Amino acid sequence: MTQTWALLLDAYRELNSKKLFWITLILSAIVVLACGMAGINEKGITFLHWQFETPFFTTEIMSRANFYKMIFASMAIPIWLTWVATVLALVSTGGIFPDFIASGSIELTLSKPIGRWRLFLTKYGTGLLFAGLQVLVFSLASFLVIGVRGGSWEWGLFLAVPIVVVFFSYLFSICVLFGIVTKSTIASILLTLLMWFGISMMGAADGMLMMFRTQAEFRAEDGQKKVERLEKTLASQRAELADVEGAGGEAMSAEDREAKVASLTGRIGNTERSLAGAREDVTGGERAASQIEPWYKGVLAARTVLPKTGDTIGLLQRWLVDTSQLPGMNEDGPVDTGESLKNGQDPRVQKRIQEQVNKRPVWWVVGTSLGFEAVVLLGAGWMFARRDF
Amino acid sequence: MSGTGTLALDLRDVAKTYKGKVHALRGVDMRVHGGEVFGLLGPNGAGKSTLVKILMTVIRPTRCEGTLLGSPVGEKATLARVGYLPEHHKFPGYLTGAQVLDFYGAMAGVARGTRKRRIGELLDLVGMSDWGKKRVGGYSKGMRQRVGVAQALMNDPDLVLLDEPTDGVDPVGRRDIRDIVVRMKDRGKAVFINSHLLSELEQVCDRVAILVQGMVAQQGTIDELTKDQQRYEIEFASEDGARVAQMLDEMDANGLPDSRVEGSRIRLSTVDAVAVQPMIDGLRARGVTIRSIRAMRPSLEDLFMVAVTDRETGRTLAPGAAKGGR
Repeated sequence: MTQTWALLLDAYRELNSKKLFWITLILSAIVVLACGMAGINEKGITFLHWQFETPFFTTEIMSRANFYKMIFASMAIPIWLTWVATVLALVSTGGIFPDFIASGSIELTLSKPIGRWRLFLTKYGTGLLFAGLQVLVFSLASFLVIGVRGGSWEWGLFLAVPIVVVFFSYLFSICVLFGIVTKSTIASILLTLLMWFGISMMGAADGMLMMFRTQAEFRAEDGQKKVERLEKTLASQRAELADVEGAGGEAMSAEDREAKVASLTGRIGNTERSLAGAREDVTGGERAASQIEPWYKGVLAARTVLPKTGDTIGLLQRWLVDTSQLPGMNEDGPVDTGESLKNGQDPRVQKRIQEQVNKRPVWWVVGTSLGFEAVVLLGAGWMFARRDF
Repeated sequence: MSGTGTLALDLRDVAKTYKGKVHALRGVDMRVHGGEVFGLLGPNGAGKSTLVKILMTVIRPTRCEGTLLGSPVGEKATLARVGYLPEHHKFPGYLTGAQVLDFYGAMAGVARGTRKRRIGELLDLVGMSDWGKKRVGGYSKGMRQRVGVAQALMNDPDLVLLDEPTDGVDPVGRRDIRDIVVRMKDRGKAVFINSHLLSELEQVCDRVAILVQGMVAQQGTIDELTKDQQRYEIEFASEDGARVAQMLDEMDANGLPDSRVEGSRIRLSTVDAVAVQPMIDGLRARGVTIRSIRAMRPSLEDLFMVAVTDRETGRTLAPGAAKGGR
């Protein structure tokens, strides 16, 4: 225990000596304060004494508490904490292992009565302390802002601490592996950022394929409904035509009957063309969905073995924000304002995608990502334990 | 604590082969007794640091039999009783001298109360009391070396391994470190020193080993190692050269040690003062002026140079580890 405490104390001293640690902390405080300066009233959004009138964000549409939760869960956490602060954290902690294993330094530590695996894991844990402390301060400040400004004491905000630490740990494990392989801080940080970019691209590909597949499914489903409707219409039109041509038309004059038959024949033709188009939609939609499916499954399989950074942070939004309280949403999902359809964004597609994403179990999002991290750490730890320094 | 009767280090057949079949060590046998100061010499790349790193579990040996303080080499728990100062060590620049001692003391498993007490004692011992609260990032090389020696003693070790301890240290500092080594020895501790400064080693070491291309070329006390090369040297007046040469031709060689003339000196291959007397008598009888008579013992440097010189070609062996072969 003496050794573990010594390593933790040393990590604190190291972080304390790094200006970037304090810079990140101060920037986090500024971000939270800036969020706290924003407000919402019956006319719209306020920032300090400025008023920005908007019909979409008013206290009639959403509560103050939800307004702040939305800011934190949709902007401050995914943008600041997930991207900017994480990059700063990687820059700060990227040197931990390359410095640790540098010649002249590692001999002093390895020559002590402590196992290499314990050294490795303790040092790894101290790296996560950085992220943990940063998020804890951020969450505490956010908790106070929402509590004081929004009147709601959201203990759920502290979920950000484990979630962001877990998210950071995926990247930090990669950084540690590259740090041990290359012994270079810059190389390990750049390679980690590259890997993170690749992982994010896989996430984006997953989202795009899911959208294309869902659009194709809706095309087929809508087409099928249209086919059923048109078949009924066609049947009724044909029945009517048969009636006009048969007993029903005997009461009509020859001219009227002829005109009616011509009209019905034209309508039947139109319906048949529409039906053919609808059938084409069905087959086209089904064909597109089946063509996309293997790609989607492939990307999903690849993502299963990779860390899911975006999905992990998404858990925070999933758990923290009641989406039905947000503007443009109701209990059934997004409200069709007409605007989204004009933009080619079918709200039903968004809703189904959101449902599918939400259906992905936590064990798949976090469990498989932690599995990836474990494998990476095993590799890095094995190299550390076996290497001659 | 290891006494003088026990072996602090007993190594047999230690070998290390790096990638590319570079043989850094090729079966090293070595013994260090408790309470003795042992010096390891060798040219650059001879494998000295590799050997020490194997003992300290920094490098994994290819083969290694033997014990460190009675336990198999590589056993981590034993390292709690060993102090180590690596060559070219680097302390984290954000720590003060006192924090360095505290951190590495804690890593060696020393309790907090003991650490507090020993930090003051050791900073005082190495003459760094006034610098204990300043960051090591601002230390000179000599100051870092002094703190390095202090950290190696934090756990009051039974065996201390010092790799180039006087590297970058001024003469006063070198004397202080020598005094510390002698004090450790007086307390029954074993001290193992790797150094290029042969004169430093000569002053403190009880026994030495010379490592050449991954093998122990010589090992023993300095007296043992120099026994065959000790001699008497008689210096005579240069104008008497012809008479000396004539005398050596005429004198009966029986009972006289081997002798040869080099300039105005006669070198006699003996350490026995009695055996030299007939030579002195002969020289005086012929009126040769004797300027001095000295018992000569080769220095450690002489020994070292002999060890690193190829006996067949007379050329200095190439530095570095052996490549290929066994």
